[in-house]
Amino acid sequence: MSKLSLRNKNVYMLFALFLTFALLLVGCGDKSSNSSSSQENENDKAEESNTESSSREITHAMGTTTIEGTPTKIVTLYQGATDVAVAMGIKPVGAVESWAEAPFYNYMKKDLDGVAVVGQETQPNLEEIAKLKPDLIIASKVRHEEIYDQLSQIAPTVAHETVFDFKGTAEMMGQAMNQEDKVKELLGKWDTRVADFQTKIQEKLGDKWPFHVSVVNFRADHARIYVTGYAGSILSELGFQGPKNLTDDSLEIVKLTDKESITQMNADVIYMFMENDEAVKKNYEDWTNHPLWKELDAVKANQVYQVDEINWNLAGGFISANLMLDDIYDKFELEK
Amino acid sequence: MSNYMTVRTKSNRMSFQIAKKTSWILLLLSLLLIIITVLGLSAGSEFIHPFTVVKELLGYGNGEYDFVLHTLRLPRVLMALLVGAALGVAGLILQGIIRNPLAAPDIIGVTSGASMGAIIFIVYFMGSVSIQFLPLAAILGAAIVSFIIYLLSWRKGVTPIRMVLIGIGISALAKAVVTMLLVISEVAATTKAYLWLTGSLYGANMQDVYLLLPWVVILLPLTFILARTVNVKELGDEIAIGLGVKVQVYRLLFLLISVMLAGSAVAFAGGIAFVGLVAPHMSRMLVGRSFAGLIPVTAIIGGIIVIVADIVARTAFLPKDLPTGVFTAAIGAPFFIYLLFRTRNQ
Repeated sequence: MSKLSLRNKNVYMLFALFLTFALLLVGCGDKSSNSSSSQENENDKAEESNTESSSREITHAMGTTTIEGTPTKIVTLYQGATDVAVAMGIKPVGAVESWAEAPFYNYMKKDLDGVAVVGQETQPNLEEIAKLKPDLIIASKVRHEEIYDQLSQIAPTVAHETVFDFKGTAEMMGQAMNQEDKVKELLGKWDTRVADFQTKIQEKLGDKWPFHVSVVNFRADHARIYVTGYAGSILSELGFQGPKNLTDDSLEIVKLTDKESITQMNADVIYMFMENDEAVKKNYEDWTNHPLWKELDAVKANQVYQVDEINWNLAGGFISANLMLDDIYDKFELEK
Repeated sequence: MSNYMTVRTKSNRMSFQIAKKTSWILLLLSLLLIIITVLGLSAGSEFIHPFTVVKELLGYGNGEYDFVLHTLRLPRVLMALLVGAALGVAGLILQGIIRNPLAAPDIIGVTSGASMGAIIFIVYFMGSVSIQFLPLAAILGAAIVSFIIYLLSWRKGVTPIRMVLIGIGISALAKAVVTMLLVISEVAATTKAYLWLTGSLYGANMQDVYLLLPWVVILLPLTFILARTVNVKELGDEIAIGLGVKVQVYRLLFLLISVMLAGSAVAFAGGIAFVGLVAPHMSRMLVGRSFAGLIPVTAIIGGIIVIVADIVARTAFLPKDLPTGVFTAAIGAPFFIYLLFRTRNQ
């Protein structure tokens, strides 16, 4: 008998415990849904009162966002967006930490002096962003899809599909920040430079142009060819063609794990970048001492160049694209 | 017959003592849980005084911290609690029915299956399909892989050892698929996939909480109701059958509960490691082997581990917000090694 009553006592206690939790949860849940709906109402009201001033609808990767006036306090959540903001002459109130040279890449460290770091690009700290009370957030769908709703509750948020399309980023930010003219001017300057490069390289190389190009990255345990993406799209805009023997050109990045596939890298010119790390250097030496490496056209023609990882890959912005173009001018000994 | 009687009386006396101790420990743990929950809501980029937190929660606040508390911190703390409780109890059930102290949700393929489902989604569907369906992909993966393991282990019933071995094999296969997908996929997808595999409560919202809550609220009491048989089953299949327990039916039932608990937790939080392994052991150290007492204790301990890990993850390296899984592993790994060391010496 005593056994029974004890077991019952235990059961009751447990149920009481769960009930308490359930009540706690329900209570909290209700509160939060109320508060979020009231917040939405406030936003609606704000939108209504501001429609007469310059209210714009921006369509982007995560939907349509209405933005009033000219945002001044922006937070950028990927490297390319931070770079484009600096290029537009705008200092964000917050930005995510850079992949290297933390907190921000050296080439724009001075411009970003005093800007709050809001965590990493892959998991930006929502509380830090909220603390800054921004009026516009620039995000990327590939990185921030799951937190888009929360970001939107902090401030109007526009998101680009990728993280490396500096032109798309610039156009989106121009619209969102009411500065389309400035963006047009920047992109116009870029187009002029591209045209200038194409004329000069044609003059210099004649029939040999267009070159096939490979952008190669050595890692500690494998090598990669960057086919499209940031560097790839810039190079193809300049008129370069992709690697000569690539079997699968649908991938943005081709990962090579076997030295037998070195031939995939074959091109007239190879730009390579790598981290400054012992294991990476060791792997780089292994790969470049392989007999197949010496068979590559670029190696035979002495057209292999080490370039800066940040400008060529990690930054993904407008300023970095220009720095990358500077590099290409220099390597071909063209006049800028 | 007298022997059998003695065992029962003995276990009854034991259960009496344990039950009394268990209620005290349960009470203390509940208090600790409440304190840690409030601390979890206080800690962050900006420290909110616990008193203010309680006031806000009870609806007497001035709304100053509405967004940070209700939209950002509360869902995370609640998710941590639910995920920890679900994983802990899932591990407890498995260790009970497989009778192996090293059993954890990984063994029945839940983690590896969910990982496979999630990574397939990230690699092939992310961008075209809303990321809200990621948990669904994960839970489908967990269910399918667990079902295959159970099916392959079946030979006029399922024996624990057979299932463990087949589980290890199939899990390895699922992990191979994950590795292959990581190698061949785009960098953006790989980054997302690694974050998922580490396990993170980042970006949790109330909707996630409402989706996970029913699983835990229904399955934990159900486990408790079914608990009596596990104590008997720990003695071995023959004795259990001798005592009239339908071994296969209960084993399937418990497995199902375990898969559902772990699967739903992993679906929302990713591959949070070691909670399912460690929480049951910690509660056994506190309250002994009575399964019924172990369930709530394990649930609370599991919840506490994940809440604490998440507090560390989002505050220790400010302004960075790191994946929770890093820190559950940091707590769990040393304990796991200690456990291996101890069982080796036994």
